[in-house]
Amino acid sequence: MITVGIVDYGAGNHASVTHALRQLGYKVRFGCSADVLDMVDVIVLPGVGAYPSAMEGMESRGLVKYLRKQAAQNRPMLGICLGMQLLATEGYELGHTPGLDIIPGKVTPLRSPRWHIGWNSIEHKGRDPLLVESDREIFYFNHSFIFDAPEDYVVAVSHHGLQFNSIVRRGKVAGVQFHPEKSQLAGNRMLKNIIESLYYA
Amino acid sequence: MLKKRIVGVITVKKGWAVQSIGYQRYLPLGRPETIAENLDRWGVDEILIQSIDRSTANQGPDYDLIYRLASRGLNTPLVYGGGIKTREHATAVISKGADRILVDASFYDHPEEIRRMASVLGAQAVIASVPLLFTNSGIALWDYRTQRSRGWPSACAGLLTDSIVSEILVIDKSHEGTPASFDISFLETPFLRGSSLIAFGGINKPCQIKDILDMPDVTAVAIGNFLNYREHAVQELKHSLPKGSIREPYYELLHS
Repeated sequence: MITVGIVDYGAGNHASVTHALRQLGYKVRFGCSADVLDMVDVIVLPGVGAYPSAMEGMESRGLVKYLRKQAAQNRPMLGICLGMQLLATEGYELGHTPGLDIIPGKVTPLRSPRWHIGWNSIEHKGRDPLLVESDREIFYFNHSFIFDAPEDYVVAVSHHGLQFNSIVRRGKVAGVQFHPEKSQLAGNRMLKNIIESLYYA
Repeated sequence: MLKKRIVGVITVKKGWAVQSIGYQRYLPLGRPETIAENLDRWGVDEILIQSIDRSTANQGPDYDLIYRLASRGLNTPLVYGGGIKTREHATAVISKGADRILVDASFYDHPEEIRRMASVLGAQAVIASVPLLFTNSGIALWDYRTQRSRGWPSACAGLLTDSIVSEILVIDKSHEGTPASFDISFLETPFLRGSSLIAFGGINKPCQIKDILDMPDVTAVAIGNFLNYREHAVQELKHSLPKGSIREPYYELLHS
């Protein structure tokens, strides 16, 4: 059985992610220490919140160095919504904040419209196995910033006034801008595919 | 394309889901988590819990209810409102399982606290509740604590123009609980112009929902009592609406 570790950085919707992962049959652990996260197969960064306070929470728990090291060691990792954005080099929400810098890119505001809240489709770019079953499916988004990444790391895009990246990936680290844990059947299928393809990659 | 949403509303009083009529009379419906499970199974786009007695009783958010809902493993986005007064309340509500918060009294009383909430959660997680009614002098805000109408507090205007809240739940207070009676003119209220609006109160007919969803500022329609009368009410409703602007009906059993 795959064990998923949810990173506790003092913010985020970890309860929702925990329940979704358990429903899919995974063992779930929750914590911020190496004792917990070293023992899991896939690390998940959940996220609801603002970039600076989330990074502050990461820093204060010693997670910035830890997660960079895990990514360098090619451990599977998934960021969800804000958790995806934290993987970037830097963020521009409420000023400039350095990110985890695991996937190159910057997090910038949506301009018009200012929000992207609700259900929207994703469009597969390329042939990443993460998306075999999920191309054109509809997922729940809730964000006002986007992850601007070099094309090499873009797996899927969505459209809302402009085109933006809805899935990014670098090696065994992936990020999704939407909330698969809140996207009903399509989300459960996507979450399972991502966890297992990162784990078995 | 971003879809417009059908939001299922569960009104909670003293821990029980109730059918509300104009926020004046209440009939018991059952356990909120059971109704939420139905809405989740029927593929509603978002679930909004409004615990209507938490602020007046100064009880803070109903964390136990949020925990019970989260424990059911709902796969539908959950919005919680009721008793949220501080940033600490707001972050706790999210960490216990809600995806977004609905602020009511504090939106008018403590706009600075709403800014603090948005600075931690992001404005996309914050919805403001705006109950409206007609008075002799025009459209007014309904203050459920004093049970009186009032003018629009100037301090709130900045919260909209500064993008501190992402959406406004526009409630037709007088018609809430009365079929097909929502007054669409509330969605054209000058102080709400340019904001993203969720319409609620007296909405149940497909033709009425279509007209509301066709309005450019409207992002969602919220429906309370009317979704509880029969099985698969959400799918039936979606089938009767034009395809394209909303997410298509979802059937759990057909896919599993």
